[in-house]
Amino acid sequence: MNRSTGGLRRRYYENLVEALLFISALTSIVVMILIFYYLISESFRAFAMIGLLNLLFGQKWHPAGDIYGLLPLISVAMVVSILALIINITIGVPLAIFLAELAGSRSKSVLKPAIELLAGVPSIVYGFLGIIILVPYLQERFYMLTGRSILAGSILLGIMFIPYITTICEDALRAVPSEFKEGSLALGATKWQTIRYVTIPAASSGITAAIILNIGSIIGETMAVLLVVGNIARIPNPLVDVFTQGATFTSVIAGEMGEVAQGSLHYHVLFAVGFVLLVFVSFLNIIADLTRAKMRRKFGGY
Amino acid sequence: MTGVIASVFMFVSSLACILLQPNIKNIIPLWQAAIIITVISTSISVILYKNVPTNRAPWLAINILFDFALFFLIYNFQLNSDIIIRKPFGLSASADISLILAGLVLIAGIIGFKDSINIFYNFGAKAEEVIIFTAIRLTAIISLLILSGILFIIIYEGFGAINWEFLTTPHRRLGQSGGISTVIIGTFWMVFGAMIVSSPLGVGAAIFLNEYSKSNRINRILTIAVSSLNGVPSVVFGLFGLAFLVTHFGVSLLSGSIILGLINIPTIILTSQEALKSVPKSLREGSMALGASKWQTIRRVVLPSAMPGILTGLIMGVAKASGETAPIMWTAVPSRPYRCKGFTG
Repeated sequence: MNRSTGGLRRRYYENLVEALLFISALTSIVVMILIFYYLISESFRAFAMIGLLNLLFGQKWHPAGDIYGLLPLISVAMVVSILALIINITIGVPLAIFLAELAGSRSKSVLKPAIELLAGVPSIVYGFLGIIILVPYLQERFYMLTGRSILAGSILLGIMFIPYITTICEDALRAVPSEFKEGSLALGATKWQTIRYVTIPAASSGITAAIILNIGSIIGETMAVLLVVGNIARIPNPLVDVFTQGATFTSVIAGEMGEVAQGSLHYHVLFAVGFVLLVFVSFLNIIADLTRAKMRRKFGGY
Repeated sequence: MTGVIASVFMFVSSLACILLQPNIKNIIPLWQAAIIITVISTSISVILYKNVPTNRAPWLAINILFDFALFFLIYNFQLNSDIIIRKPFGLSASADISLILAGLVLIAGIIGFKDSINIFYNFGAKAEEVIIFTAIRLTAIISLLILSGILFIIIYEGFGAINWEFLTTPHRRLGQSGGISTVIIGTFWMVFGAMIVSSPLGVGAAIFLNEYSKSNRINRILTIAVSSLNGVPSVVFGLFGLAFLVTHFGVSLLSGSIILGLINIPTIILTSQEALKSVPKSLREGSMALGASKWQTIRRVVLPSAMPGILTGLIMGVAKASGETAPIMWTAVPSRPYRCKGFTG
């Protein structure tokens, strides 16, 4: 009798623990839903008053005159992320290849902690360094009116996300089974030919996922961009003019949110900007997730 | 091999000229010498070895012509040295002749290196490998240089300002004098609060995902939620906090802590999951075989052996939370940076 009640109590206890753990696992879904709910409800007025297409494709961002169009932000964000991605990939992916395939244990023992250290530098510190080093340098070197420019933002973002792309790419390259490489080497291919024609194609979905994830984080990064990009919301003319000031989604939100009156149209439009950003980044994340799942199916664990 | 040395010299010196902007007058004769050396060594080896593949020969000729053109451009530069190309193509930037020359010499260095290595290894697969691997090693060196540059500047510029008084006195006159003790205390409490919010939720979720969840579909949905939460930009979290928390708790340390905690949850879940995955299955089975229940197994066996990994995750969470800026700008900081409550406000 006594034993069975003990067993019963124990089972209740076990179920209670499991329920608690389940609730804590549900938190992330709940938070995600709450974020979407609040952003939609706060930005609904902006979409209703301006009109979805007018807001998305309006060519002017002019808060003082209550004129809001996202095209300047979209175009600058696009230019910044393309340029940053170029810098990011040209350094990050070869670095990952070096770490996964070439590095000896000594250079690895230096590089690995260095990359982790770089990943841990807060974005505001990057922005600060950008202001005191990069901006004066660009201003002097290219005879610009001010060094705060799209180019400065891109360089900063490109450097900032090197550790992330390197870590994910390295994992993807390591997940390629060593039989593949050994087979290629046994056929007489050089090490580079093996990497080029066997390892990289096999890891391509992982590398693609890393790049897509990085686009998301580059577009979503705030403080570093806010400090160096210049924050003048207009479409660069010509579009490739990276030496002029611009404003991205995040820099507009972070720069203007402090000053707006709560409940004004400007306030709701800034939420709408955040909502567009969130939708875009979530979309990229889901694509990256699917690509990584493909890689996992191909090689088992990773 | 002299070609390789000259090219490497051109590469390094022109890169230094672009970055450090010295007066390039003194280095110009050296560049001219290096270009001549590269051209001569390339031509001599082409003439001596005579086994250049026909499809590579035009490229070699073009490269040598490029070197000659550059040589005369530099010669011209010595005559009139203050040419500036103003705002080409409507861009709002200008380039002076020293920048253009340095850029061209950089290209000449890369081309010369490529050609010399190709000739040295008879245009084989080995040559390609050496060139690519050099480039790859170069990226490793660049990333190390970036890191050491950041550390050097922060330490060199900032170390002199730090003393005991700076760390322990509150700020005075809106941050113009005094120290940063208020900021340190504010950051400490905010991060402490964030960890109280996020560590039980994060570790709990990781345990559920790894140990309890049997249905594949629930697992999949939860994983998608975690990874998309991980990707949400921090400024969006700030907006969420402004709309959701500030209306309930006002602009306060509490709102900031909760927001930072929510931002941290995915980081902690992902690292804890990795730690839990690395615990061998035999440990769990052994404990189960002794009659322990599932929770007892997890608490007494799995968690202790996964503890180092979980702690790493928590520490990473602390680092991330103390470095975040955008989400606490409107939730925890009254209005402007100098009245801030955190390092980053």
